[in-house]
Amino acid sequence: MEVTGTMSTIIDVENFGKRYRRLDVISNVSVTVQRGEIHGLIGPDGSGKSSLLKAIAGVLDFEHGIIRVFGQRVNSEEEAERIKGRIGFMPQGLGQNLYAELSVEENIDFFARLRMVAPADLETRKTRLLEMTHLERFRERPMKHLSGGMKQKLGLVCSLIHQPELIILDEPTTGVDPVSRRDFWVILSQLLEEYGTTAIVSTAYMDEASRFHRVSLMYKGEMLAQGKPQEIRALVSGTVVVVKASSQIEAFAILKSQYLQVQPIGHHLRVFVGKQSSEQAESAVKGSLSHLEIAECYSLRPELEDVLVTLLIDRNEHKNVGSGPVFKTMGRKNGKRNGPAIVARDLVQNFGAFRAVDHLSFEVSQGEIFGLLGANGAGKTTAIKMLTGILPSSSGNGQVAGVDMQKAAQTIKSRVGYMSQAFSLYEDLSALENLKLYGGIYGLSGTGLKERIEQTLALTGLQGYESEMTQGLPMGVRQRLALSCALLHRPSILFLDEPTSGVDPLGRRRFWEILFQLSREEGVSILVTTHYMNEAEHCDHLVLMYAGRSVADETPAGMKLALRKEAGELLELTVDRPVRVLEVLEENGLSDAAIFGNCIHLLTKNISDTVLKIRFLLESNNLSLHKVDEIPISMEDVFVHRVMALEKHASQRQQA
Amino acid sequence: MNYQRILAVAKREWQEIYRDRLFLSLAFVFPITMMIAFAYGLSLDVEDIPIAVLDQDRSELSREYIHCFKDSRYFKFKGYLEHPDEIDELLITQHIRAAIVIPEHFQSNLLEGRPSPVQHLLDGTFTTRARTVKGYMTAITRAFEKDILINFFTKSFGVPPQRVTEQLTPIKVQIRYLYSQAVESSQSLPPRLMVLVLLVASPFLTVVGIVREKENGSIYNMYASDVSRSEYLIGKLMPYMIIATINAFILWAIAIVMFQAPFKGSAVLFIAATLLYVLCTTLIGLVISVFVRTQVAGVLITAILTIVGGTLYSGVLTPVSMLSEDNQLFCHLLPAMYYTEIVDGVFLRNIGLTVLWPNLLVLAVYSALLLVVGYTKFTKRPKA
Repeated sequence: MEVTGTMSTIIDVENFGKRYRRLDVISNVSVTVQRGEIHGLIGPDGSGKSSLLKAIAGVLDFEHGIIRVFGQRVNSEEEAERIKGRIGFMPQGLGQNLYAELSVEENIDFFARLRMVAPADLETRKTRLLEMTHLERFRERPMKHLSGGMKQKLGLVCSLIHQPELIILDEPTTGVDPVSRRDFWVILSQLLEEYGTTAIVSTAYMDEASRFHRVSLMYKGEMLAQGKPQEIRALVSGTVVVVKASSQIEAFAILKSQYLQVQPIGHHLRVFVGKQSSEQAESAVKGSLSHLEIAECYSLRPELEDVLVTLLIDRNEHKNVGSGPVFKTMGRKNGKRNGPAIVARDLVQNFGAFRAVDHLSFEVSQGEIFGLLGANGAGKTTAIKMLTGILPSSSGNGQVAGVDMQKAAQTIKSRVGYMSQAFSLYEDLSALENLKLYGGIYGLSGTGLKERIEQTLALTGLQGYESEMTQGLPMGVRQRLALSCALLHRPSILFLDEPTSGVDPLGRRRFWEILFQLSREEGVSILVTTHYMNEAEHCDHLVLMYAGRSVADETPAGMKLALRKEAGELLELTVDRPVRVLEVLEENGLSDAAIFGNCIHLLTKNISDTVLKIRFLLESNNLSLHKVDEIPISMEDVFVHRVMALEKHASQRQQA
Repeated sequence: MNYQRILAVAKREWQEIYRDRLFLSLAFVFPITMMIAFAYGLSLDVEDIPIAVLDQDRSELSREYIHCFKDSRYFKFKGYLEHPDEIDELLITQHIRAAIVIPEHFQSNLLEGRPSPVQHLLDGTFTTRARTVKGYMTAITRAFEKDILINFFTKSFGVPPQRVTEQLTPIKVQIRYLYSQAVESSQSLPPRLMVLVLLVASPFLTVVGIVREKENGSIYNMYASDVSRSEYLIGKLMPYMIIATINAFILWAIAIVMFQAPFKGSAVLFIAATLLYVLCTTLIGLVISVFVRTQVAGVLITAILTIVGGTLYSGVLTPVSMLSEDNQLFCHLLPAMYYTEIVDGVFLRNIGLTVLWPNLLVLAVYSALLLVVGYTKFTKRPKA
């Protein structure tokens, strides 16, 4: 402690490299983390985040480079042992580092005993930590009966019980619902400030970048960029233009020919225009679409994902994903039937005493992209299983393609395509063999099957992969192969369960383009589930799920509009000491504020009054306020607000 | 080495075992079931063989001959048959395992000094059993022949039966089965089964215990903390050692109480040897779990190694001296045989430390070797 007390560099990674099975999976990665910093390691699955974190924690052997923690090398097991008393490490996976059979308190006690925490210290720390994480009430509850969010908070408590100088957290928020996620970040910020702990945290959610002081952007085992979130955003200059034109498909085709990054978002198109100001960019986009009627056109600041994709395009990575879809039949829909494609009425699913789906109702129109948005365990997969006739419902009913889900499960199966979470491909078959197998299952054969396979491969851009073994394919390609399998029998309805989990942003964008084409051009109705909040914006229509219930049922834009009407605009305050600022605001009745790195986000109806009040409060508490921005509301804000309102309502009812 | 950390690890492991009802019951039910099932199912004695007779002579002598079988404890008489075709059917349906066909003129032939054929039909599916049955049948037939001869000499020459017997069998063989007077495997097998059951059960639990921690990732808590390798391994293995020791006691009680096995030797020696063996088998589990990553792989490897080793190369079912030279070498390379010798010695023969000390030494050296391999191969900083 004395030796390193004066040193400000906590982690110093120089040219780190890791080999797996004789392949250099990670190479030339360098990172430094300063004392007191919350450092974010951001990148899609497979970018090498976990390996780097494990190497830093001294729990993974590596081949290249030098890693120093607290100035101590950790290049061998003996060296690594010297830092372990001063670090905390939380591995990836919900509650994976905890002990299922032990209660909340027993878990904490075990970590404390393992770390030789003095009994008196343990009691005070435990009380404080349980109170902060709102786990006090659940002391006696076995860990296996906690929700995902609570498990992660308990994991954090256990990793911090010995007050380490450095804490290493591997994807602590993956699969956790947005409310718990927000909670988690606040608690982490508060604890780190209280204990003066440094943190390095990895995440696969691009939109979490603003939670960190500094960020490292990783991709396929390489370091793409490093710096403060705003510095990384500034690496790529340009504007995002959102436009709504009279013919979305036509506009998409035109813009796609001129810009590399065009995404269909609901009925809008989202275009990244490089190296131009918002006015220039908007007029350029409008100019390209001059012969179309433009209903809406506005610009946004680029998100971290836009930056990542731009950096990847600079490296020609997008060529590996294949070209975008080719539109042959402009806007022709094959909608033969009328009425909704899917109807769910009061669906209930009980697993013993646990209610996985609780009176869920919604409707999906023909040719619509419909999203079920919720955390792991919110009941999305169960809902899909009931609608497709895989799982009989406890009560309620549903119709898919005009048939009752209870009575005609077989008919439903022939009319829908289903792609499951794990993609359900046969690993030791080639891509073509998988397609033939699925074609056979759906009763296709001979030239009919051959033709269909060719058509589907053209649609999903998988030509050339036919003879490759499935197990060797990258995630993005597997995902499109699984989609191809689900499309072979020309279903009019597609069920996609977490289709983009584990796929990198380029692959995800490519996938959504295909879904867009299927929906707009072939009139396929698509029901898709996701736990990526920002992905929900692609849907025409959304249902937010929380604890098996639907908490909102609207278009994404409608949801944001409703929130704006109800709670006002979103303010971003850039400050020096966000944890202290949050405390001051909460003491003075400005609740529902959230910490994002060095910023505070806050919803308010009366902007000028609130800003005045904040300035006054912070000044009188000697806290600096650098700037105040109005920023667009995100789907996460909507989700958090809805769930909080629901919980408040429930607790009021309980008290009454 | 810090005992508080060791206890922390051990206590947590125990809590997890204790609260996981499936795992806990597996820990005790599995070895007990295995012991009882093997002890009953593996009995190598042949008794009460169901037998039927086709008596085409229906004479006094033929009935006397059949009576010899009826009286024997090795056979269970199922009845007379009417027709030769019945034999096949009864053998196939396993109602009988042997049949005797006595042809016409059996009595008259014998009385007139002519040999008479008798047919013995045996179910030869299991060769060892068939050979044993054949042995019994031949022995009974020889005894019957002797009676006929005695009768013949007595009647024809007036020699007293006593004298004829002496002349016919001049050598009086006296057999005494030492160490297992009744020559019943039910006495010698159950104690030996302890060797097999402990060899399978204790590594099995240890492997599942360690590898599931690897599989779900909670082992990273150990890797990333300052608990040392030895502290972790001692704490982790302690509960499994205790379970295995309790099991050893239960198995011992089953052998003594349920199967009436004798226990003639020193209890102290036996306890010491058993603790060493339990340590040794638990460490086999440790070594296996260091090399595997998934529970499935761990359980499979453990099952194959311990069951093959325990049944073929341990001296439990087949005496080591009856094996080929190559197989004897295998036996000497595995720890089970040395414990089998101790078990035999202590239960059946009251052999003491003066003879058995090399066996204890081998078990100790074996444990030390396993510990060295397990300790050095266990790393808190793996390659993947």
